[in-house]
Amino acid sequence: MKKYILTIACVLMVSAFAKAQSAQDIFQAVGTPSNPKVKISFNQYYTSEGLAALGKKITDAHPNLVKRMSIGKSTQGRDIWMLAITDYSTGDADRKPGFYLDGNIHSNEIQGGEISTYTAWYLTESFGKVPYITEMLKDRVFYIVATINPDARNNYMKEANTRNTPRAGMIPLDDDSDGLFDEDGFDDLDGDGSITQMRRKSTTGDFILDPRDPRKMIRISPDDVVTGQRYEMLGGEGIDNDNDGRINEDIPGYYDPNRDWGWKWQPDYVQRGAYKYPFSAPETRAVADFVKKHPNIAGAQSFHNSGGMILRGPGAEEDLATYNRADIAIYDAIGKKGEELLPGYNYLTVYKDLYSVFGGELDWFYGGRGIYTFTNEIFTGFAYYKNKDGGFDQIYAADKDLLLGDGFTPYKEYNHPTYGLVEIGGFKKNTGRATPGFMLEEEAHRNMVFVFYHAFHMPHLSIGDVSVKSLPNGLKEVTATIVNDRLMPTHASQDLKYNIERPDYISLSGAKVLAGMIVQDADFNVTTEQKNTPETIRVANIPGNSTVMVRWIVKGGNNLTIKVDSAKGGVVEQRVK
Amino acid sequence: MNYKSLFSLLVVCAMCFTTLAQTDYRNEQQVNAALNSIASKGGAKATLTSLTKTNGGKDIWMLTLSDGSPESHPGIAIMGGVQGDHLLGTELALNMAESIVTNHPEVLKKTTFYIFPNLSPDATAQYFATTKFARQGNATQTDDDRDGKLDEDAFEDLNRDGLITMMRVEDPTGDYRLLEEDNRILVKADPNKGERGTYKIYTEGLDNDKDGVFNEDGLGGVYFNKNFTFNFPYFTKGSGEHPISQVEHRALLDFLYTQWNLYAILTFSDANNLSTPLKYNKGGASKRVVTSILKNDEAINKMLSEAYNKLVPKENAPNGAAQGGSAFEWSYFHFGRLAMSTPGWWPKKFEGDSVNKAPKNEKANFLAYAEAEGIQNAFIPWQEVQHPDFPNHKVEVGGMHPFVMKNPPYAMVDSISKKHTDFILKVAEMQPELQLVNLQQESVGNNLTRITVDLHNNGLLPTHTEMGDKSRWLRKINVYLKTSGKQQLISGKSRQVIEKLDGDGTLTMSWLIQGSGSVTLEATVPQAGTATKTINL
Repeated sequence: MKKYILTIACVLMVSAFAKAQSAQDIFQAVGTPSNPKVKISFNQYYTSEGLAALGKKITDAHPNLVKRMSIGKSTQGRDIWMLAITDYSTGDADRKPGFYLDGNIHSNEIQGGEISTYTAWYLTESFGKVPYITEMLKDRVFYIVATINPDARNNYMKEANTRNTPRAGMIPLDDDSDGLFDEDGFDDLDGDGSITQMRRKSTTGDFILDPRDPRKMIRISPDDVVTGQRYEMLGGEGIDNDNDGRINEDIPGYYDPNRDWGWKWQPDYVQRGAYKYPFSAPETRAVADFVKKHPNIAGAQSFHNSGGMILRGPGAEEDLATYNRADIAIYDAIGKKGEELLPGYNYLTVYKDLYSVFGGELDWFYGGRGIYTFTNEIFTGFAYYKNKDGGFDQIYAADKDLLLGDGFTPYKEYNHPTYGLVEIGGFKKNTGRATPGFMLEEEAHRNMVFVFYHAFHMPHLSIGDVSVKSLPNGLKEVTATIVNDRLMPTHASQDLKYNIERPDYISLSGAKVLAGMIVQDADFNVTTEQKNTPETIRVANIPGNSTVMVRWIVKGGNNLTIKVDSAKGGVVEQRVK
Repeated sequence: MNYKSLFSLLVVCAMCFTTLAQTDYRNEQQVNAALNSIASKGGAKATLTSLTKTNGGKDIWMLTLSDGSPESHPGIAIMGGVQGDHLLGTELALNMAESIVTNHPEVLKKTTFYIFPNLSPDATAQYFATTKFARQGNATQTDDDRDGKLDEDAFEDLNRDGLITMMRVEDPTGDYRLLEEDNRILVKADPNKGERGTYKIYTEGLDNDKDGVFNEDGLGGVYFNKNFTFNFPYFTKGSGEHPISQVEHRALLDFLYTQWNLYAILTFSDANNLSTPLKYNKGGASKRVVTSILKNDEAINKMLSEAYNKLVPKENAPNGAAQGGSAFEWSYFHFGRLAMSTPGWWPKKFEGDSVNKAPKNEKANFLAYAEAEGIQNAFIPWQEVQHPDFPNHKVEVGGMHPFVMKNPPYAMVDSISKKHTDFILKVAEMQPELQLVNLQQESVGNNLTRITVDLHNNGLLPTHTEMGDKSRWLRKINVYLKTSGKQQLISGKSRQVIEKLDGDGTLTMSWLIQGSGSVTLEATVPQAGTATKTINL
């Protein structure tokens, strides 16, 4: 009988669910896919397994738009899942200009996982409905890795942490040089799932409670006459696990996966957080191997938190010369558009506006591969009141007004083995850096459209005017204009400086080609002949919003075909009429 | 042939190798046989391990020599085959290993040796191939000229002598002229000195891909000695797409980064800080990205260099500055170890006499030296060939033998090996060694005891180079006072961390303990060993 009740209950639930989701009961909010095939709540965060399951659902629901593959294994053996999204019915996917995006390189900077997933979801649900997306997927491919740090994402969510930990991946390191690895981490003494603060009443303490808000501690100034209870702050929640006289001095890590990339990498004593050598962490190596095998990637984005920043390189002043004027103009155009799309965000340069970074991801993508790349620092205090960032105190107001106290664990007494009676409390780990749920979908959407703007401006090639002129002795002169109608060139100037990517090939087939040349000036007939293999003209670059003209002298042939083959600009082919 | 007869043939061959004196550099099979033989002679003191296989399918061998657990002694790494055309490096590493096992086993009681005889096995194989050339690249296919095609323009042995040398092409537009003191050699003409060039020079081969450049993208991928992190030469031939991109580099570093006991690395390569020590440069040393040896390390380098010069005379030693991306630079600037590098051998200068004047040009001088020493084939005489890329020009193939300036006649290898064994044994004698000395025990009354001890480095080398002191990859010295339940530590720490001790350096430490029974003092750091004392209160 119990079984029947269960079955009936299930049937009732399913029908109720189906009814609530039926299309006729829904009115589309503009800009959001209506009644999507895959239903995802974007007001919560997902563990690595949660993200992996969403990626699989999206793939299963849209087999003609998504291919899902593992690009490698994490330190603890989790798959690093990548969704390759394009319109697979046209063209060769890996030959289309590619856009790479990832999230969560820093373990506690989790929003990238949801923003990446939102982007994959939006692309697939909008294909065939939103012409902009349909076009985009026809001639671009998106490589989306929701988390490139699945182990430590889970550690952040499932283990006791502050909002700042762990930043590292999960390879154990000996931070206190005692030959033991990660032996003195945090301890969640009050059991709230977060590492908050420990304070102790003390006649000589430097702090008092704010009489208007007991959540706040005020530091005493030398001239203050203190009448209330003084406190001393004892640091993050924890005990001396290894009995060495220190607390929490060897937590998981510490190395920084975003100091592990192969452009101007520096060791730990120069760049704190560097691990052994570039790509010495398996997660970053998996990404690098993938990118090296995909020379079609022309644009890239990584998501961090927080502060509301759209960052470009260089990471270090020593690398200033790598970013030259032509490429900075392209960065500026996209970055400034980003400031419009992302209110409260500022377009900044890492080394001068943030801090110095050697071996960062965006510098390898650009310096090492010639890929225009941004890092966004998701979420800023601006978001709470849609007003300029009100500093640290604003979070107290926001917790009270907007989060209704959900972000703070009130101080409670605890008997500490070393410190005696202490009080433990403070902001929870999901408060302050991770976007609150009710704002997450908006932040995901705005960051996604910034990605789309960037991806839209990857090179977009076409064959423009083609003229055929008869010459004496039965020869013909074929002149073709190759058009790139977007912002980015096929080769960034960093790429051209080092020949990172091969030249673009413009070839003519269907006739015997006697000579081939690049036309510098059609009016005055200034050309540069290419003596060898004239049928395939090699051009160093097809600049953004610009054209390249080539010419062949051919004999015979009535079925001429012109083909442009560019690593980052894709392949286009056209019969000569 | 059945297996049995194949086996007996192998045994006979193996016997040939052991009975006949070696007359040339050892090839892969001979190196492997030598390694196995050393490992078997060493018994429990020698372990042969393959760290990985290269893309060419060749093993990267490591021979660990140690009496007792390798991690329990301070360690020295010796790296050979760092440059694929430097065959001597492999021989030196092998012979040093052999000599340590056979003649100096006592050193293994306090020092562990990690010996990597050949880190460029794909490249060194080229010396033993039908067409020999000075190869440094491994078997990874690379697009050296970054034109989108892999290995499409290799050398050709046009004069069929089994060697890739140079081509000279008679051409009035050429920039090269014949050198007066030795007209086999071509040098760049200087029009400002009234000189005219009449030759063009190229490496031996065809322009297979018709791009106007000769042999710019042939066999041979990433150079072992050009793929390290310090001052990495991006996007140059042999560097690889980024530092530590090759399987052999990763395997080596993944191993070395877990060897906390390693205090010194000797690299056989062009870089030479043993004949002439590196010089401190304040500007380079005080920048964030350090490019100069640090002040204290300069003094240590000088001490080691003096020891080396006594064994290997400095005369005519090449300048030997590292070129970026090298193993030697990494071993100091990024790994923080006591870093030593030497080519091991260089030709003596031909001083000349009243009849034969000494040529000033380096190559000409070398050829004069080679002739005096009886070195055969140092120069391959120019020989005319028909060349399809130069139909109306006289083309000749010839030039310096590709290996002869870096690798001595094989007969000299033994004595060079002995000198380098003696040198590394000297380094081992100087190695840092923690001791607890001058132990004092004072009763302060009321069951209180004060313990005072000098933590002393008995070695001449510091526990940490100044560079290594900055690195997280050298552990600090940990000093423990281990008490039992009946005792209480009144003053002093049960564990304290000491940054470093200089060579012959001392630090006095004390503790105040209440109680009775025995306590143990332990000072330990992997690269300088462990010292313990037990005290009865």
